[in-house]
Amino acid sequence: MKPEDLDKDPIVDSSLSRPLLISSALLVLSLAWALYDEIYAMRPWKSYQKRFRETYATFLNNLIPNQAEMERRIKASPEYQALDRAMREAEQRVLADVRRIDEEINRKLTPQIMVLNEKFQELRMEIGALTYELEVASSEPEKQRLRERIARVKQREVTVALPEPDGSTRKVRYTFEQMDRDLRQWKDRKAALLQRRVELMAPAEELRRKRDQYLADRIPEVSSTVLAGLRRKLENFPIEIRQIHVRDVDLVDRCESCHLGIREPVVLTKAAMGGEAAFTSHPNRELLRIHDPERFGCTPCHNGNGIALTSVTKAHGYYKHWLWPLYKRENFEAGCQQCHAGEIITEMADTLNQGRELFRLRGCYGCHRYEGFDRDTEELAAVRQEIRQLEQQRAEFERQIQFTIEKGDRAQDNAEAQRLYQHADNLKLRISSINARIEQLDIRSRNLLREVKKIGPSLKEVRMKLRPEWLPVWIKDPHQYRPGTKMPTFRLDDEEVRAIAAFIWQSGVTGQLEKQPLGDPVRGKESFETRGCLGCHSIGEGAEQIGGTFAANLSRVGEKVNYDYLVRWIHDPRKRTLPYCPLERRDLTEEDYRKKGLPFVFDFENSRCPNDGHELVVQQMTPMPSLRLTLEESRDIASYLMTRRREGLTYAPAPYLEDPKLKARGEFLVRFYGCAGCHEIKGLEEEQRVGTELTHEGSKPIDRLDFALLTQKAKKEGWYNHKGFFERKLKDPAIFDLGKEKPDKLERLKMPNFHLTKQEIDALTTFLLGSVESTLPPRYFYNPTGAKRDIVEGWWIVRKYNCMGCHQMMVGQKTVFDTLPRYQEPDWKEQKPPSLIGEGARVNPEWLMKFLANPAMSATDTNRNGVRPYLRARMPTFYFSDGEIQKLVRFFEALSSQAQPYIPPRLETLTERERLMARQLFTSEGAPCLSCHATGDPAHDRRATAPNFLLAKERLKPGWTRRWLLDPAMIMPGTAMPSGLFTRQGDRWIFAGPLPPSFQGYEKDHADLLVRYMFQFTPDELSRLRAAGGSAVRGNAIAMNQRTR
Amino acid sequence: MDWHQLWTILTTPDNIPITALLFLVPFYTWYGLRQALANDRLIAQLEANPEMAKTHHRKVYPYKPGWPREVHVWPYLLRIELLAAIVVTVILMVWSITLDAPLEEPANPNLTMNPSKAPWYFLGLQEMLVYFDPWMAGVVMPTLIILGLMAIPYIDENPLGNGYYTFRQRKFAILTFIFGFIVLWVSMIVIGTMIRGPGWMWFWPGQTWDHNKLIFEVNRDLPDIAPFSYIPGIKTQPVRGLFGAAVMGIYVVLAGWLIHKLITLTPFNRKIYARMSLLQYVVMQFFLITMLLLPVKMLLRLLFRIKYIWVTPWFNI
Repeated sequence: MKPEDLDKDPIVDSSLSRPLLISSALLVLSLAWALYDEIYAMRPWKSYQKRFRETYATFLNNLIPNQAEMERRIKASPEYQALDRAMREAEQRVLADVRRIDEEINRKLTPQIMVLNEKFQELRMEIGALTYELEVASSEPEKQRLRERIARVKQREVTVALPEPDGSTRKVRYTFEQMDRDLRQWKDRKAALLQRRVELMAPAEELRRKRDQYLADRIPEVSSTVLAGLRRKLENFPIEIRQIHVRDVDLVDRCESCHLGIREPVVLTKAAMGGEAAFTSHPNRELLRIHDPERFGCTPCHNGNGIALTSVTKAHGYYKHWLWPLYKRENFEAGCQQCHAGEIITEMADTLNQGRELFRLRGCYGCHRYEGFDRDTEELAAVRQEIRQLEQQRAEFERQIQFTIEKGDRAQDNAEAQRLYQHADNLKLRISSINARIEQLDIRSRNLLREVKKIGPSLKEVRMKLRPEWLPVWIKDPHQYRPGTKMPTFRLDDEEVRAIAAFIWQSGVTGQLEKQPLGDPVRGKESFETRGCLGCHSIGEGAEQIGGTFAANLSRVGEKVNYDYLVRWIHDPRKRTLPYCPLERRDLTEEDYRKKGLPFVFDFENSRCPNDGHELVVQQMTPMPSLRLTLEESRDIASYLMTRRREGLTYAPAPYLEDPKLKARGEFLVRFYGCAGCHEIKGLEEEQRVGTELTHEGSKPIDRLDFALLTQKAKKEGWYNHKGFFERKLKDPAIFDLGKEKPDKLERLKMPNFHLTKQEIDALTTFLLGSVESTLPPRYFYNPTGAKRDIVEGWWIVRKYNCMGCHQMMVGQKTVFDTLPRYQEPDWKEQKPPSLIGEGARVNPEWLMKFLANPAMSATDTNRNGVRPYLRARMPTFYFSDGEIQKLVRFFEALSSQAQPYIPPRLETLTERERLMARQLFTSEGAPCLSCHATGDPAHDRRATAPNFLLAKERLKPGWTRRWLLDPAMIMPGTAMPSGLFTRQGDRWIFAGPLPPSFQGYEKDHADLLVRYMFQFTPDELSRLRAAGGSAVRGNAIAMNQRTR
Repeated sequence: MDWHQLWTILTTPDNIPITALLFLVPFYTWYGLRQALANDRLIAQLEANPEMAKTHHRKVYPYKPGWPREVHVWPYLLRIELLAAIVVTVILMVWSITLDAPLEEPANPNLTMNPSKAPWYFLGLQEMLVYFDPWMAGVVMPTLIILGLMAIPYIDENPLGNGYYTFRQRKFAILTFIFGFIVLWVSMIVIGTMIRGPGWMWFWPGQTWDHNKLIFEVNRDLPDIAPFSYIPGIKTQPVRGLFGAAVMGIYVVLAGWLIHKLITLTPFNRKIYARMSLLQYVVMQFFLITMLLLPVKMLLRLLFRIKYIWVTPWFNI
């Protein structure tokens, strides 16, 4: 400040120009900034759209010439040319006629109608207005006046200049009526001409459709016309927000403002779109077709903030305040679960299916309730509850009947008495329907008692089954002994292990075990590997492991198990030592039966408690089925398994197992850790679950997931969300105890460690993330009825018994047999269990029901397969309950879209001549059917690789059989049954091989003939066939095999 | 020291005004007082020189001869106001561009957020709930605050200081304001924003706001603390209520005496006091005693863990 300034008045003499200038400049700048922010910075989708337009245009420009070139080549092909020529010729033929018609319509009729119609409409409007006035006029003279006026208008003559085809005009005077008449005539004429034109063109149009179809069939994606259309659309590509709005659910998804290629008809990959992942097309178009984005939007499946557009983070919902962040790639199938809850298998959701299966198979639901899992137990409780209610109601009705009758006896007059007696009768009828319902529920509860399974083996039988010193070693750390086993590792110290082992050992039941002689381990190994044990069990450690993962790895089973028990187990896994009475809550002993003077026999026929008459648990709660092996073969397998052990391993003796002092402590711990969730344990049969319910775990408020001392760390590292919690908890269930001071060990987190792999954790996390209480309206959920529901329910049973270990049930699914080394060899390929894709279309449901109940198809001869005796692998007896059989049969029917119930079509009876013809065909050189199909002759059946024809009538459906004969490879690729046995001739199929002479003059369909023959097949017929073609059968077997290869 | 936590609290868009408040309130207090003190010097100068006082109209200090005696609103005031308006507009625009108001998750009636905080201007009230029973803090005190503010023009009839800054002529009013607004109200807002964490627990700046934090505090009512707990029948009414009333009476007398001392501290104030009617004086005393109750109770609670002094079946103080 200069000295003279000191004397200046700071208010009056100072200038504010500079601060004003600067602040104004700042204001303008901030305004500019605000505009930029508003137009660009907050609307990143604009630049996405610009980039998309460019890259997509480039992409299409590159694609179109290729596509055009391909099309040109196809168009040059003689087939196309022929089609094209035929089309053109057809066109040419009618060209003159068509042209004449076009001429008349376009040059004469249409212009004339147009001109006349204009005048006509004018008059008609005038008349219409007058008519209206007439209708509403109040007085009769007025009406009369208007009527006259209308008549005058109708009489008025108008001059119309009609254009003629030669360009001149013709003036015609018309009244209203005349106009009407002419118009009508011309229009009729025009319609007739057009109809004629269509008729003329029809053959040409049909040919054109054929020609275009030929082209479309040969182009993998879309035609160049479509591409050109896309390209044209890009010319006028508007930069704008693209949103899906589903009004009734308040859904607004603007995802497609950046993800512009999602619904494009061409496949857009990241590489093709200049490395921009946002521009790719949806990877699964099939899913998109089922879940139409216009109805489902994006976020209901994928999560994320569908409304947000200001940044990628915001739109994907990856910030604190958005509760539904976009699912990460490894978990994206979580979105399926919220609407497809209640399914165990959802098509096209492999990760989710794996998660559900892990949740089931690893016994998670033993501790954590999850709606839909363990439904047998819950249904059992519900059924019992309903029975109780119905019984109460019945008692109430009975009382009422009594009262009503008494009242009726005392009634004043007859009418009143009649009314009361009638009421009593009505109540009686209602009681009878209650009785019917109770009966059904009783059956259901009996079934359910059979259906309830436990994940782990029954611990009641340990004393008979195990070596005592092995028990503590296993409890301490099951994964040490058998890596990857289902049983998890609990956080136990030695004292606890000893107590638990002692309790389990002492609570075991004792019973008589038959002494078994040793079998042949070599034969046992062969049986073990071929009978189908490996469909569920695995054997071999580390890299040598083969077999399924559904059940235990049996590599070291020889170290732990008692041989006699093992034989019993293999021979009949469901055999219980003592039956269990749910009402008395205890195992019954021989004593209970003796007191009532009953034999100590308990099975499905004798399943009632001698004390109270209620249903007992008469079999082991294991899904392991019976393979119907002979006792001898069971011994062989057991002997083989006893050799499976690590040599030189010794177990420390465990005398404390018999220490009664440890029992109470052990029982407390077993209860505390929820062992009864997976195992049947004496005294703990009705235990409740110890864990938290997980049905809606995915939408639990994040504050209620206890990150404990890792909260701050999680927030800083960005995993303070459900995914982060689940993944870490599954990897190390004790992790959130980190740093916590818990001197009492029982206060610690008790979830055990399952030693899951990264992939398993992802699958389970996906499942849990999807387990949300959905905010969508119920109609979005998949709540199928009818056939679709049968499918959903059937999969649960398929999973429960691991049908997919042996059978292919889903397209693209691999069975365990596909992975076993032995079954890679050509001789063994035929030995794989049959694929069940299309089973419902193939077999008669009545038959399937019988087969599932007894796969041996015989009450006495059970050591065999009922349908395919040539298979080494056995279809086991699962002892399905009636309910399960019902569900399975419906499942197969529904899976093949069969109508319910099945009504077999009536087949025409064979004439004697036809029977002869068919018989000859069956044994002819060209169709040596009996060389592969079993005939019931033991010598032959040993080499047979297909079922006996005698079964066909009961087992198969004629429609399927016919399709199978025509082209078996369409139904079962790689089957040994040869394709091309029939060729089409006109509208019938005839046998392709050399025909027996009797076929001369036979006009009917040959495939039909064979089907009818098969469905009227008798044992007599079979023996006649065998006699007739005995030599041919053997001779042709080789020829046949060569042909199929 | 959890710098990350501190930074999070200070920079949350919601908290930016409070962070600014930390600096702006002291600054403007100082700025206003500076002008007031300058004016006071001018007043002293004019009082010493009656001649000058007659001709002097502009209240500006220092004043140089030759300067205009009067300055017009247009342009001298309005141009500065325009400048201020522009600067404030720029600040608001930049602020709104750079800090988006966060939209939080949908309200969930089954799940209250923790900490659950009132809007910043009500945080003082929320903080008061810690020290008084809800009826007092939520109903009585806010009513008294409003009534007190309404009563001010009727209590304070001092005409000086209209239209210019001065401290000397309004010392008591300014000090009361600074105490009541800045010390009590603003500091409670700052405490509510930056000190109160999950569970409304006290976290010093730099401490981690840990949901799992546990504290041990036993707050007791005054009658339950020795030696008063030995008074016979103190556990029951009416002894308990009477005891509280007696303590409150003592407080009222003491506080009233203290306030009276403060009012009559300077000759200037004594002059104003002499001009007050009895009604004005009593009303003023009532509001000031009530206001003083807040810091007293805060100190009793924070230092001595005393919950209530006066416990009755109807209300607690």
